Amino acid sequence: ASEDTPVITAAGENNSSQIKCPQNEKIKFKDPLMTGLDKDSDDDGMESLDLEASNKSEEESVSRSSSLIANFRLDDDCDGETRDLFIVVDDPEKHTSTLEAYITFRVTTKTTRDEFEGSDFSVRRRYNDFLWIRHRLEEKYPTHLVPPLPEKHSLKRMDRFSTEFLKVRQTALQKFLTRVADHPVLSFDKCFQIFLTAKAWEFQAHKKQGSGFLTRVSESLNNMSASYMMKNRPPEFALMHDYITLLSDKLGVMDRIAQRVAKEQNDYMAELLEWGPCYTLWANAEDQLAGALLTMSKALDECVRTIKELIDATDNRFAQPVKEYLLYTECIKNVLRRRDAIQNEYDSVIEEISRKKDEKEMIKTSDQTYSIGAFLGKDPEDVKQQKHEKLEQQIADMIRQMEYFNDRTVVANADLKADMERWHKHKQRDLKEIFITLADMHIAYYEKNLAIWENTIRTIQNKEHIQLPSTASINENQDHGIV
Amino acid sequence: MADDGGLKPKPAETDPLSDDIKPIKNATALVSEAKRGKRVDKPKKAHLLQWMEITVTEPEKKTIASMKMQDTFVVYLIETRVTDENMQGYGEGATSVWRRYTEFELLRNYLDVTFPSVIVPPLPEKKASYAWQNVSMDRFDPDFIERRRAGLEIFLLRCAAHPRLCQDKIFMGFLHQEQGWRDTVNATDFYSKAESRLKALNAQFRLKNHDRRFEELKNYCTELQSNIGNILKIRARLCDKLYGIHKVHGNYARVFNEWSAIEKEIAEHLQSASHYMDVYSATIDAELEEEEQYADQLKEYYAFGDSVRAVCRRYECAQYDLEKAEEGLVNKSCQREALKLAIAESPVSEENNGQGKGGFSLSGVKTKLFGGDTPEQREIRLKQLDEQIVQAEAELKNVQVESQEFIEFALRDIDRFQRQKTKDLQEIFTNYAVMQIKQCKKGIAIWTSAKDCFSKM
Repeated sequence: ASEDTPVITAAGENNSSQIKCPQNEKIKFKDPLMTGLDKDSDDDGMESLDLEASNKSEEESVSRSSSLIANFRLDDDCDGETRDLFIVVDDPEKHTSTLEAYITFRVTTKTTRDEFEGSDFSVRRRYNDFLWIRHRLEEKYPTHLVPPLPEKHSLKRMDRFSTEFLKVRQTALQKFLTRVADHPVLSFDKCFQIFLTAKAWEFQAHKKQGSGFLTRVSESLNNMSASYMMKNRPPEFALMHDYITLLSDKLGVMDRIAQRVAKEQNDYMAELLEWGPCYTLWANAEDQLAGALLTMSKALDECVRTIKELIDATDNRFAQPVKEYLLYTECIKNVLRRRDAIQNEYDSVIEEISRKKDEKEMIKTSDQTYSIGAFLGKDPEDVKQQKHEKLEQQIADMIRQMEYFNDRTVVANADLKADMERWHKHKQRDLKEIFITLADMHIAYYEKNLAIWENTIRTIQNKEHIQLPSTASINENQDHGIV
Repeated sequence: MADDGGLKPKPAETDPLSDDIKPIKNATALVSEAKRGKRVDKPKKAHLLQWMEITVTEPEKKTIASMKMQDTFVVYLIETRVTDENMQGYGEGATSVWRRYTEFELLRNYLDVTFPSVIVPPLPEKKASYAWQNVSMDRFDPDFIERRRAGLEIFLLRCAAHPRLCQDKIFMGFLHQEQGWRDTVNATDFYSKAESRLKALNAQFRLKNHDRRFEELKNYCTELQSNIGNILKIRARLCDKLYGIHKVHGNYARVFNEWSAIEKEIAEHLQSASHYMDVYSATIDAELEEEEQYADQLKEYYAFGDSVRAVCRRYECAQYDLEKAEEGLVNKSCQREALKLAIAESPVSEENNGQGKGGFSLSGVKTKLFGGDTPEQREIRLKQLDEQIVQAEAELKNVQVESQEFIEFALRDIDRFQRQKTKDLQEIFTNYAVMQIKQCKKGIAIWTSAKDCFSKM
């Protein structure tokens, strides 16, 4: 199989637009162990090669892929783009090997793009695989905004195999892939395609190639200093920087508030859990009143359920997404820093050039009689000449470098600007939805409780028209004589 | 039967209890239901509320300089109004007097002593109990005073609704007598009729025949108080937690505001949403204050437990009296029999065997000390004993009648109490559910408005 080549070149005007990048290589994903396979039917039985994965058959997965696509909400389609790459993440499964236990998710892709040889793919990936692809994308596109991944370890959920946790993680992973798929540049990346389509062995092999580890480390050091020394950051990026810092701040506060609310709600629920039994105990000592008391007890038990539902739903559909946006802002901060570093390199070269030019001017009128060359027996005028030539050479080199850095800076700025515009729109939509969900969950909670207490009144006052089966036994205990 | 101080209650041919069981919620409800009771055409009014309206309002702080110190206390306005034209002879149309809490206490103590077989309604608590963090312990706190006012009103209404209590002159005086009521009460010297603690203790442990019903009732009261106590304790904790939840949501208000400062298009919507978070945070104060009502209603029944137990104690005292009287009679009879026997055995010689049966007899000792009785003396003694026995028998009959009456009245009042309790508590729980429903509706409204703001973002 041929290696992927970097798609983005230095002259990257194409990349800021939303047109597809031209691709020349045909990528063949032939699993070396599966010979004679028709490239159109890469769906059957390949899973069985992954010795540690489950034995689910591919036919099953493919036939379900269309229904899976139906899971997509239409309003995911932003900017009116027509999507030609759909990805769904689901079906977490636990695998145990001698060394470790881990979870894989099924990643199903449906596409009409030519570069993908085929239209339907289904593979199994684990969290580390997602980390890898994100890492690669960041490396290759340092000035593009690569979406964040959910955190590796959640401090709250100790059980990384619990259904709740897996559901949350699955949703986040799908969001990640969808965001990459929606990105006009990232989605065409070869590694990304491999991630979506390659079967187990091939994928493992591919992962081992290419590191970029060291460059990342040194890069980050560069970035840190660059941001601090930034004097002439273009105003739009300065604004971006300030906004992101403040927004990140606010999101952090909201995350903490959400945690505090959850704690109070949990405490409240614990008390409620004890309250119901008090009424039951009292009912033991009563005759006529037992019915009403048991009704109260039952209502309180139901209230425990509703508050638990609210707590869980708030965590999954509000707190986690807020945390995720917090991560997103951190990513953006990183990208901004990298952009600063790139601009910094350009600025530094400009300065250098200017300095060298000054030096060159100075040389003309300088006295070289006491220079080292003179001591070595050279003619001071020759030394002057040599130095002058050397400086000119240096300046010429640097000017070339400057042009290179200039291009890089322009590209970086354009990339980032485009990505930020898209991000702003998405962020608006996402945050709006997160808060609407928060409101909806509270409304649902109160509506449920409303029904519980209305029911309670009906039962106690014995005036209900419909005999609800669950309260029938309670009504038998009710007093009949007194109205 | 203890002195009722006024019109004697008619014996129960017309059962005065049948139509006075209504759940006590508040004054207007009680009065309107009392009026409804008039549909049953009764020549006699069973209790006060059927023709009189009573309210306790306008708590006011009053300070008087008495003796050397300044005394500050709260007074309440008690107003009555006759609502039935046919009863114009009783009551004085509309009246109003000012009373303070200690006068209520005096009234209750009087009723307690004067009607031992009646479960006298309890007063609202002296100090806030089972308080959560927002409940003030200050007895001049307006919320506390308002709750006390409501409790005092309920106290008077319950007394007025009781067929026996309401006819008491002192009770009527409490409602109407502007001057010198305290003196009138003290003049009745009711304290002297109170059962002593010692007697009550004796009674508890020395009874031979104990009516199981009262024993069980005492146990029931203990359980009732334990159960209500549990509910009140946890309820206080629930209030604290719920308060916390709402107040923390107030932080959202602040952060939304701060966030709106860095946004352009969505700034105003964030600010509106922020406002609703503030509202959500603020509503809890009023809601929890209203919920204190529920606690107060449960506390009343907690205190009722003490009243019921008091009746049981008085039963024990009455039973004790009865048994003592019986014992006394038996003693005297034994004495007479012994004396008769002594006379029969030795009619002449007093020095020999002046003793009756058994080694140590009183007559034997008397003989030793004072010389033997002459037959005439013995006859006199016998006559004395006969008289005493007749007296004791008459007394015993009285005590028996009293005891019967006590038990009859007490059991009837207990039955009335149980039925009232059932109705009241059903109503109390319903009210609690109503309050919860209100809170839910408020929550829905606030979050719907917030959602509206979010949708516009």
